[in-house]
Amino acid sequence: MPSIKRIATCVTASVMAAATLLTSTAFADEPYTGYNYDWWGDPVPSQNGYVVDKVYTGLDMGIDSLSEPSDMFFSDNDDLFLADTAYKPSNPASDSAKGRIVVVDSDFQLKYTVESLDFSGVQDWLDLKGSELKTGALSQADYNKVTNLAFNGPSGIYVDVDEGEETIYVADNANDRVVAFQIDEIGDDQYKTAVGKVKVVYTRPDASMYDSSVTFNPSKVLVDAAKNVYVCIKSITKGAVVFSKEGDFNGYFGANRVEQTGEVLLNAFWKLIFNREQAKKMRRSVPVEISNFDIDTDNFIYTVTESKSAETDILKKLNSAGTNIYTNLGYSDYNFGDALTKYYRGQTYSSQITDIDVADDGVINLLDLKTGRVFQYDDECNLLFIFGGIGQQKGTFNIVNSVESKGDKVYVLDGRKCSVTVFKQTEFGSIVHNAIALFNKGKYEEARGPWEEALRRDSNYWLAYIGLGNAYLNEGQYETAMTYFYHNSRTGYNDAFKSWRMNFIRDNFTLFAVIIIALLAFIYIFSTWRGKVRAKKRAEQERIFKEKNKGKEDV
Amino acid sequence: MRFNLDMPAWKWPFYIMRHPFEGFEDLRWKKAYNMKVALVIVALLFIVSVCKELMTGFLFNTSDVKIFNIVPIIIRTIVIFFTWVIGNWALCTLFDGEGTMKNICVNTAYALVPYIIGEVINIILSNCLLRTESAFITFVSYVTILWSALLLISGMKTVHQYSIPKTLLFMIITLLAMVVILILIVLLVSLFQQVYLFVNSIYTELLYRFTNLEPTALIFIFIGVIAAVIAIVVAAYTAYEKHQIAKERKKLNS
Repeated sequence: MPSIKRIATCVTASVMAAATLLTSTAFADEPYTGYNYDWWGDPVPSQNGYVVDKVYTGLDMGIDSLSEPSDMFFSDNDDLFLADTAYKPSNPASDSAKGRIVVVDSDFQLKYTVESLDFSGVQDWLDLKGSELKTGALSQADYNKVTNLAFNGPSGIYVDVDEGEETIYVADNANDRVVAFQIDEIGDDQYKTAVGKVKVVYTRPDASMYDSSVTFNPSKVLVDAAKNVYVCIKSITKGAVVFSKEGDFNGYFGANRVEQTGEVLLNAFWKLIFNREQAKKMRRSVPVEISNFDIDTDNFIYTVTESKSAETDILKKLNSAGTNIYTNLGYSDYNFGDALTKYYRGQTYSSQITDIDVADDGVINLLDLKTGRVFQYDDECNLLFIFGGIGQQKGTFNIVNSVESKGDKVYVLDGRKCSVTVFKQTEFGSIVHNAIALFNKGKYEEARGPWEEALRRDSNYWLAYIGLGNAYLNEGQYETAMTYFYHNSRTGYNDAFKSWRMNFIRDNFTLFAVIIIALLAFIYIFSTWRGKVRAKKRAEQERIFKEKNKGKEDV
Repeated sequence: MRFNLDMPAWKWPFYIMRHPFEGFEDLRWKKAYNMKVALVIVALLFIVSVCKELMTGFLFNTSDVKIFNIVPIIIRTIVIFFTWVIGNWALCTLFDGEGTMKNICVNTAYALVPYIIGEVINIILSNCLLRTESAFITFVSYVTILWSALLLISGMKTVHQYSIPKTLLFMIITLLAMVVILILIVLLVSLFQQVYLFVNSIYTELLYRFTNLEPTALIFIFIGVIAAVIAIVVAAYTAYEKHQIAKERKKLNS
């Protein structure tokens, strides 16, 4: 028979073992604290929606390290294309060769790299440029640039997949061109080098249409369903430059508005007074240029503006006519990025949105250069999650350059650390995303479960209150909806209150009618009674007055 | 005579409200200025402002704050009211104004009655109306504010016996005077803060010097030092006075 002592030892040992096991399942915290904004616009702590999954450097991909990569793109074939901007080729195809394109699959295994181009497919175009060189329309330096066999600082990349045919568009920054090429065969050396077969080259438009004093240094590129090519150029404030499929200049697209500053208003005032000569000498106010863009599955183009001081048009959703949908939706402009400008340790922090990614389900990821954070919004511009930061740990960055998303993962490219950080959704993140998907489809009742779960995990989560409010509003439980909307959504509260008030009046109509009739009757009776009292008083006063004056008349 | 003016003091504000021009004249003629009623109105103004902050419906509450703070409301109502009264009195006594401080206070308070009533109506309405029906609330607040402004002009005109342009001019100058008064108050407060800091730093210095002493003992020492300073000053003054008296006496004797 086991003694009590022995049983006690066994129990203690097992408890301790269990305790050790439990503690061993705990994992390290993220290097950033999750937060969100509440109805008052104050930051409140929140659950993390995304945590770091893995960090991939160039060595992890099977090549030597990347150097200052500035853009990446997920193609529809689930391949990740990286623009490795400052890479120095070992055997350059031309004198000014800098940069390459690195292609990896979704597990970050190297597929191929592109360092040089082959212009044999566009002989007509080469001849045309050659003749332009002879007539002097094109200088030798420019000719060398646009017909360069290698890249020179490729800073933007886009891949268009049409019926299985992959066309890669590269914004070749210092070569003043955007090249569209395809890959036929892949070499079998260490880097699996491939040569790009050029299909179209998009170069600086004619001087008659494009200001000759402005440089043509493409930084980002984008292609829509009609194969129009949109080129983002930092020195142009009129919007993105649009080319047709064949390479003809089509105009500009999606310029920002001029910000309403005091100086602009003052200038508008002076312009009323000045004559034409004087007005010419005034400083012209131009909008801030767009810095990056993305296109969603419905062919809406989203642009972002990186400027430190800009407040308007930080994020625009443009339809094909170039109209911003996000300003026309609400009462005022939306706020993107960190709401507050913070002054901390001798530096001012205000959001500079440098890249945007629109996921297939409409979720928008904005990348903030200043704070290294990703701000995730749903397609109605409600803030979902904030994650990332500046630092040296996993999950924080030095200089963020690009953000992409695929499925439930978010990828961030760091240009200084030369690595791609993969964020995965937490359980909380997936609950919220599930709720958002149902909520934005209008399935408010189905979204109730996820929203309640989200609130159980994070009672600060503002959007969950609105979601639950909408669910109850749809079910006709107006009073519950009102309590959820209170201090969370004015619009929702207004709608719930409208229905509640109507129901209240309808239910208590007899009571209201009786009260109103009684009130009217009371007022009538009171006023007649008061009139009588007054008449009496007046008669009394007059009597006294007459009596007083009677004697005087006698005298 | 249409109206019996021998009414209780609390009826006067309502009478004046209904007779903006005649009312103040009657008030002046009957000398019915009642400070108690005026103070009650100021208190009501304060209470209504607090209620406005707390009880306005969610749809119309623009000053929605997370943490309620009563100090700004005190400043917005009571302090501003008395600054107006003092500023107006200080100015207008110099420029042939006939109003005493009490009369100005009473007239200003009575002029605020429509505004207070309007705020009460707005608080009730804001809990019953939708956002699309906000025009009613705007209407009520415009009407009552205009009414109060009219009453204030009339009241100031009557209490000082000014013409209307002169009244308007001095009301604007009073606003400037209020600013000056408030700046002086802020200066004074900061000055006293400096004095407090000075005393406090001496106290801490002593604490550090005599660590074995108890704080109570230090306070006694401090009081003793102050008493000594006062005693020296008094002694010096009495000596000076004696000297003066002796001088006078000498003069008289000679």
